[in-house]
Amino acid sequence: MSQTQANLEVRRISGHAGTVPGAGLKRDLEVAKLIDTTTCIGCKACEVACMEWNSLTYTETTFDNTYQTMPETTWNFWNLIKFNEYEPQGDGNSLMLLMRKDQCMHCEEPGCLIACPSDGAIVQYANGIVDFQQDECIGCGYCITGCPFNIPKMSPKSQKVFKCTLCVDRVSEGLEPACIKACPTGCLHFGTKDEMKELGESRAKQLREQSGFAHAGVYDPAGVGGTHVLYVLHDATNPEAYGGLPRDPHVPWTVWLWKKPLKWLGNLAMAGGLIGVFVHYLRFGPKTIEEDHDIPNQGKKP
Amino acid sequence: MRDESHLLPNGRVQRYTFRERLMHWVAGFSYLYLLITGLAFWSPWLFGLTGITGGPTISRLLHPWVGVVFFLGTVWMYGVWSAQMRESPRDKEWWHAIKHYIRNEDDQVPDEERFNPGQKLLFWGFFWCGLVLLLTGIVLWIPEWIPWSLRFLRLIAVIVHPIAALFTIALFIIHVYMGTAVERGAFSSIVRGDVSRKWAQRFHRAWYEQVVRESPNRNDPR
Amino acid sequence: MTNGYTDIKNTDMMLIMGGNPAENHPCGFKWAIEAKKVRNAKMIVVDPRFTRTAATADLFLQIRAGADIAFLGGLLHYAIENNRIAKDYIVNYTNAAFIVKEGFKLPEDGLYSGFDATKQTYDKATWNYEEGGNVGPIPSVTTKPAPRAPGVTAATAAASDSGTSGAAHPANAAAAAAKPAEKSAPKVAAGGGKGGAAVAPYTMGAGAVPGASGAPPPPSLPPNVAYDLSLQHPRCVFQLLKQQYSRYTPEMVERVTGIPKDQFLKAAELFTSVRKDGDMKKAATIIYAVGWTQHSFGTQIIRTAAILQMLLGNVGRAGGGVNALRGHSNIQGATDMAGIFDNLPGYLKVPTPADANFAAYTHRITPTVSKPTEWDSFNYWANTPKFATSLLKAMYGDAAKAENDWAFDYLPKIDRNYSWTNIWDNMYRGKIKGMLAFGMNGVAIGPDSQKNIDALKKADFLVVGEIYPDETSEFWSSPGISKDEMKKINTTVYRLPCAGFAEKDGSMTNSSRWLQWKNAALPPPGQARLDQDIIAQIFLKVRELYKKEGGKFPDPILNLTWPYTDQKHPSLTELAKEVNGKALVDLEDPVTKQQIKAGQQLPGFAWLKDDGTTSCGNWLYCGSFTEAGNQTARRGTEDPSGQGIHQGWAWSWPANRRVLYNRASCDPAGKPWDPERRQVWWSEATKKWVGNDVPDFKVDSPPSDHMGPFIMNPEGIARIFAPLAAFADGPFPEHYEPIESVVKNPFHPNQSTNPVVKKFTTDRDVYAKPGDEFNIICTTYRLTEHYHYWTKNNPVNVQLIPEPFVEMPVELAESLGIKGGDKVKVTSARSHYLAKAFVTKRIKPMTIDGKKVYQIGIPIHQGFRGIAEDEGRNEKTLINRLSPTVFDPNAYTPEFKGFLVKLEKA
Repeated sequence: MSQTQANLEVRRISGHAGTVPGAGLKRDLEVAKLIDTTTCIGCKACEVACMEWNSLTYTETTFDNTYQTMPETTWNFWNLIKFNEYEPQGDGNSLMLLMRKDQCMHCEEPGCLIACPSDGAIVQYANGIVDFQQDECIGCGYCITGCPFNIPKMSPKSQKVFKCTLCVDRVSEGLEPACIKACPTGCLHFGTKDEMKELGESRAKQLREQSGFAHAGVYDPAGVGGTHVLYVLHDATNPEAYGGLPRDPHVPWTVWLWKKPLKWLGNLAMAGGLIGVFVHYLRFGPKTIEEDHDIPNQGKKP
Repeated sequence: MRDESHLLPNGRVQRYTFRERLMHWVAGFSYLYLLITGLAFWSPWLFGLTGITGGPTISRLLHPWVGVVFFLGTVWMYGVWSAQMRESPRDKEWWHAIKHYIRNEDDQVPDEERFNPGQKLLFWGFFWCGLVLLLTGIVLWIPEWIPWSLRFLRLIAVIVHPIAALFTIALFIIHVYMGTAVERGAFSSIVRGDVSRKWAQRFHRAWYEQVVRESPNRNDPR
Repeated sequence: MTNGYTDIKNTDMMLIMGGNPAENHPCGFKWAIEAKKVRNAKMIVVDPRFTRTAATADLFLQIRAGADIAFLGGLLHYAIENNRIAKDYIVNYTNAAFIVKEGFKLPEDGLYSGFDATKQTYDKATWNYEEGGNVGPIPSVTTKPAPRAPGVTAATAAASDSGTSGAAHPANAAAAAAKPAEKSAPKVAAGGGKGGAAVAPYTMGAGAVPGASGAPPPPSLPPNVAYDLSLQHPRCVFQLLKQQYSRYTPEMVERVTGIPKDQFLKAAELFTSVRKDGDMKKAATIIYAVGWTQHSFGTQIIRTAAILQMLLGNVGRAGGGVNALRGHSNIQGATDMAGIFDNLPGYLKVPTPADANFAAYTHRITPTVSKPTEWDSFNYWANTPKFATSLLKAMYGDAAKAENDWAFDYLPKIDRNYSWTNIWDNMYRGKIKGMLAFGMNGVAIGPDSQKNIDALKKADFLVVGEIYPDETSEFWSSPGISKDEMKKINTTVYRLPCAGFAEKDGSMTNSSRWLQWKNAALPPPGQARLDQDIIAQIFLKVRELYKKEGGKFPDPILNLTWPYTDQKHPSLTELAKEVNGKALVDLEDPVTKQQIKAGQQLPGFAWLKDDGTTSCGNWLYCGSFTEAGNQTARRGTEDPSGQGIHQGWAWSWPANRRVLYNRASCDPAGKPWDPERRQVWWSEATKKWVGNDVPDFKVDSPPSDHMGPFIMNPEGIARIFAPLAAFADGPFPEHYEPIESVVKNPFHPNQSTNPVVKKFTTDRDVYAKPGDEFNIICTTYRLTEHYHYWTKNNPVNVQLIPEPFVEMPVELAESLGIKGGDKVKVTSARSHYLAKAFVTKRIKPMTIDGKKVYQIGIPIHQGFRGIAEDEGRNEKTLINRLSPTVFDPNAYTPEFKGFLVKLEKA
């Protein structure tokens, strides 16, 4: 989104010095999208709805031995169903066609926001939506590095990064995201995080008890503090099978190291350095030159 | 490359040739830009610095290109100075006496060549850090072109780049402090190229003596 | 559909076969998912490929394309052997107890009795019931139930008011729950006089040609059917059924379908588990689409499914039924409004030359009751003359008079088969000289696109009304035509840009039989015009010419009613009103005294008259646009019963009923089989059938009368055995191989394919045989990303699936050295197709009758006109260059599934 949504409370702002304006005002419940991969039929209605609502431009694609004509989301394609032919027993008799709608997960601990240096380019609202403000984006791409899900993508033309906004413009007006609206089977749900979690858990329980998926569960990875996009998976112990959903995603430790301890160490070091030289000057001053005569070599060590 | 220092007819000592000065300032100004923009990206509290470097987006756009310029500057320096920056046997003694050097007890410090070991450290520090900054910088320049399978490159770059930068900042602080506040005359030497004989004797006696020895007009009374 | 999309949520068990609803009917598939989530319903998917529907299934079986009857026959065998049948249901609601004529022979050798090998037709005289009353040990009427009085709630009382003047007048052309388009409506001749008259004697081999003058009258159903309620009589339908499918053992199922025995048994156990221990509460549904219809025995596949559903007592019930998912948003509307050459609107038969006058015509097409004398039969088609007269009044207005037989002679008479494939064959033979092609792409549709292209080369003119330049209007530039050849094509092509669906208003009839009105979203662009405007203006011009120049028989044109306010631009609202019908004089219902003034819209088809006082364009749609307004525009979402009935949403034919034959949702005593899912029931208090849905029944017929719930059949009950001329190829379905097959029919190798299927005979009509180089089974299908041949003109769809591809098993690809994305060439006996290889684990090699067999699948969507095609990015072959020119003998649907090809790296 190009404009911060006025009627949403901002929780965090990227690259921002000082407190978040308006913090502490409770205006929103935490929202979440629930994607039940067990009832996804890969119809791509969500993909089209996303393109239409967000006026995304078309891409020329080629066939690559799968129904999925793009390997990953792109700067102008934010919602991609990943298709995977998966044989859980690997014996050729068991086959599953896993279809997972991939998009921004809207992490509670957003690696993109943490990595972003530009003031206000990435905003996390109190409702959990992590939103890019392209007006403030400087195109550094640190968000790309910070994301454990490979979501933010740079437009080669504008050098701005784009991704799913969770339709923040719709949500702030009380509507559901476009993908949810378009889903024909009801495999996509939208509501408060608590509701979605409960709904997901009850579906997972049904899958365990009624459909023989012993490891069915909800994907809400703790490594990033939980996400505002939840998955119901047939086998929550093997998220990688769903087109590379990370088993234990977290803000990359190097990003963390860089943004937390290194930043403070570095700041201390730099400040220390400046103070150090200043104190040195006070204490010792400049190295003077006796202008009147040559400095004898005597008394110096050879 | 050989040291081209010599005594000038006016009695001063030619310390840096034009080429050396140009080279220094190519690296110097590019480093300055990199420093300011880098610091702006480093901390939200310094993000406002982009105001003097062309705004945030321009700063991001130019930072890598200027980085390339800086690196080319260091390569140039390498070509010109690397021979003179080699460690000499005396350097160890100098390091032993560093305490005295810091306390301005320079009579306790061994005679210095054209570049003292501190300057050599500066040189090699900038050279190697420059290389690291370049390599990691390329990764950070075009993160969208690094495939997901090589994602570790980005993750390494993101931490190594600032660490290397911090090293250069440390060197830079000392370098600027020494060159402006402590060794008066050093700054003008890198601007104008020449120093007084006294300055030369005072800070680089070994070098000065060699210059005098090798200069055709060494018997000039001044 | 017997039921409807929203009703699927009520099911406990789904068999999805011959269809891929997740990809092709994703919005309707929501209700299948709903049933899984809410009711823990199980889903069995049987398909040649592991589709996106299979991805959500509880059990998937890979079947050989074209082996569906063997699989379903196996299920019938399993259900009978394991007593997983609804005994009360089949005794009371089907013809299981009826005795079949002596001399009827089951097709152990592939042929039923009466086959004439030279004509490739059956003499169906023995395909009939025996005359004569109860012949079994059980007394005639087994159920004299003590009627119960279920509580009538305000909601149900309101729902029962259907606006059909108190009497239920149900309707549905489909006899055995097959979709009406499949031409399964009863074609019962009424040769034996009315109401209990003796059947005309009939002897084997009389070889009567129906309607041929001078020949003996065609055989008809006996009015007093012999029956045995114990189902023990060796010639009762149930025993014949048992015998017919005794050959369909799990071992045979494996040999024919390629489904391993253990997997088949798993599916059979699961599907029939709804009738475990005689429990009648649960309901199972069967969902299919053109994967069943597009075979040379397609109608019989659906018949098998219908028999299975009757055997399990699933028809007429919430969550049950046999449900055809139609291929377009309005294909149901097209069939309802005479989409097939031998139908008039409302599934009235088109006259033949033998129908000398209106009386002979209605006599031929109006069935008479045939049932056990102790039972009752509504025989709703007895009203046929009312429907036909009202239709003629709607068409010819005042020109249709009693004196001139209601202008019956104006109607064209069909002297031969004018079905889709025949039209193209006739054009190829030079017999058809011109074509108006609206809303379809005949060249791309095929079968044998090259034959259609060659046919068009011989035509004088072609008019195409389309929203995009399509393959049909540019047949002259199809790949392979040289510049010189192009110059020799003299066909004049008129391309008329038409409005798209969002640019038109009007109603569309969906698979649930709902007529849903839509508004135009925006005006047509540029010179594009509304289809009805184009047709109106052509008609007005033709009429002007007839007025000016006369002609052989100008009357039908000159007297056609054209009552629209703007003659050149007929409003679809006016058309909808005309289709609904109106009173031509003041009418009064003799019972309720309800009055309708002349000129007022009719509230329902119960008002239709055969004396010329009503007009109605389609009796099934009567009630859709009443004095209360356009019922199809209603958008009420209320659903008091929670069963997805939605009486206030749009309007469902017939009479706004949502589930057909819903009387069968109750036991013979009128009590719902499942008290949790009450649709309709007998109210002893009001002496009426009431319910959440509109009862599809005579509302005042008490259960004690034992009126059959299948009121469109003259028997009143459903036909497990379809007598006489109901089907061209047999009263029971039998497995036949596709016209092109890798094996000889394991049941009867000497009669491998459907005996009544005729092949075409031009030089282009060539077919592969077992043992040919063509040894890979090919099936065609649609993808969810595209809509037929249109969306290759839309950038978003092209982005989602940009190129043509061929899905093939990994093993096959490896054996041919093909990798995913490689260019491949698929060749049939007719032509070839170029595309990229899609190497997938979702199709596995199969073993058919001991032979290792591969199947491949090809989406239909690409051609030589479209975004990627015009940019030269794609191959430009049409998939239907491969498909053979044969069709189902009942519905005339071509065999687009399960033909033979060879595959090679291109």
